[in-house]
Amino acid sequence: MTAVIEVADLSRHYGKVRAVENVSFSVEEGAICGLLGRNGAGKTTLMRLVTGQEFATTGDIRVFGENPVENADVLGRTCFVRESQVYPDNFRGKHVLRAASHLFPNWDAEYAERLVEDFRTPLNRPIKKLSRGQRSSIGVIVGLAARAELTLLDEPYAGLDAVARQLFYDHLLADYSANPRTIILSTHLIDEAARLLSQVLVIDAGELLIDSDADVLRGSAVTIVGGHAKVEAFAEGRDVLGWDSVGGISSVTLTDLSDADRAEAVKAGLDVAPVSLQQLIVSRTRGTNYSQEARS
Amino acid sequence: MTAVADAPAAHQTGRRILATMRVHAANPWTIIFTPWIVLFTILALNLLIWLSIVLAAGDNVDDDAFVANGGIAYLFVYMIVVAAQAMNQTFSFVVGMGTTRRDYFLGTAAIFVALSLQFGVGIAILAGIERATGGWGAGGQFFAPAFLADLPLWEIAVIYTMILLLMFFLGSAVAVVYLRWGPPALVMFFAALGLSLAGTAVLLSLNGAWPTVGRFFTQHSVLELSLYTLPVTVACAIVAWLLMRRSTPKG
Repeated sequence: MTAVIEVADLSRHYGKVRAVENVSFSVEEGAICGLLGRNGAGKTTLMRLVTGQEFATTGDIRVFGENPVENADVLGRTCFVRESQVYPDNFRGKHVLRAASHLFPNWDAEYAERLVEDFRTPLNRPIKKLSRGQRSSIGVIVGLAARAELTLLDEPYAGLDAVARQLFYDHLLADYSANPRTIILSTHLIDEAARLLSQVLVIDAGELLIDSDADVLRGSAVTIVGGHAKVEAFAEGRDVLGWDSVGGISSVTLTDLSDADRAEAVKAGLDVAPVSLQQLIVSRTRGTNYSQEARS
Repeated sequence: MTAVADAPAAHQTGRRILATMRVHAANPWTIIFTPWIVLFTILALNLLIWLSIVLAAGDNVDDDAFVANGGIAYLFVYMIVVAAQAMNQTFSFVVGMGTTRRDYFLGTAAIFVALSLQFGVGIAILAGIERATGGWGAGGQFFAPAFLADLPLWEIAVIYTMILLLMFFLGSAVAVVYLRWGPPALVMFFAALGLSLAGTAVLLSLNGAWPTVGRFFTQHSVLELSLYTLPVTVACAIVAWLLMRRSTPKG
């Protein structure tokens, strides 16, 4: 396996705002990497940096082993689709797809046509008059049909309905199997996308909180539920991510629990439940004081 | 387009430059059709005015009554706006879709040159028709008025092309100032431009240099003067490129 993206000590500051702060990670060829985090966490900035559209304040970015900035060779193998893509005022959907067919060397026009039918995207209406979901569907079509070796999708399905989102997941998986590539996907719908992901990056306030294999991450935390006193005793001295209490019942989310620990919890009469990726990330990014407050 | 997937990098660059040009031309109304339609509308208005004057004045109209006409100057101002608008709207799209700034700039410059040539040659051809028809049958000079009246058509084509090139690259420099620093920078840019022009005028007056300036314009042919815009045009292009190199697409 070779790394398609290698980022080292990367920072991007805008004046006093630290949009991306000292971030290091790498993404292997063939990975489907979820880039997760709250609004304004720095996801889009990070993707813009990786695609050479934004300039790093400090640090190093390698894409296909080279600096992506003004690098026609690297950018020619890359496709970056974002929810906030700006289109020329007079553009209609068909103009975007035509431009994409000229810009992306591996563009599959037939596949694009099929996607247009599936998503029911109106191509003859000015982009400005499309709904958010319809505009998103154009981005999704570009991202899939471009068949770029490295595809970055930033909130690609914002505003899409549930049917269209399911279509997107199905198409992404099917096309990924037929034409393997490296995909970076940023999204707020974590649990929906969770089954697709092989790697998870979580960024919060510009800093990288989690860089993990998705399966490892999913298994890394559990929720222990039971009587308040028992839960309190069990959680004592452990890594607590989140804490909830209703009546006399408490539930606590813990990380780094060994099999022995779990057995001990069960023996103590506590329920051990898996934690979804979304719950895990919410507890990790909602602010450090939150769990303390909920506890007291 | 899958056939060129394995083409070497140079072909890829050519393809993206071409793709940039196609994005500019995706909706040809703004950059090609509208300017011509407006130009012909102004011509039609002029013809009607000439006709009304001839009808009213009869034989008393001087031979050279309709040779001073500035209707075509609209095109120059329009092209500054078109260039600025076209770049502002397509930069974020084309670079956002993964084209290098360099390829975008080259494609945009190429389309500006092509448009200048298209209008320059087109206007020269119309000036030829104008002369052949005795000024649209009314002795009017719309496409080659005043000091262009006696010049050969190829010179007229060169002169218009040169002026339009200046307008396009002036417009692109303005657009990149906006792309790079936003609206406040544009206001400051125009304020600085106005101040430096006024300052130059004051300096010329103080040094009594206006006659020299006047002589420069009378001693050189219109063709020569139009060619003297080239260094300014190139300077605008260089400024636009230098600023664009560090600009980031919106969105």
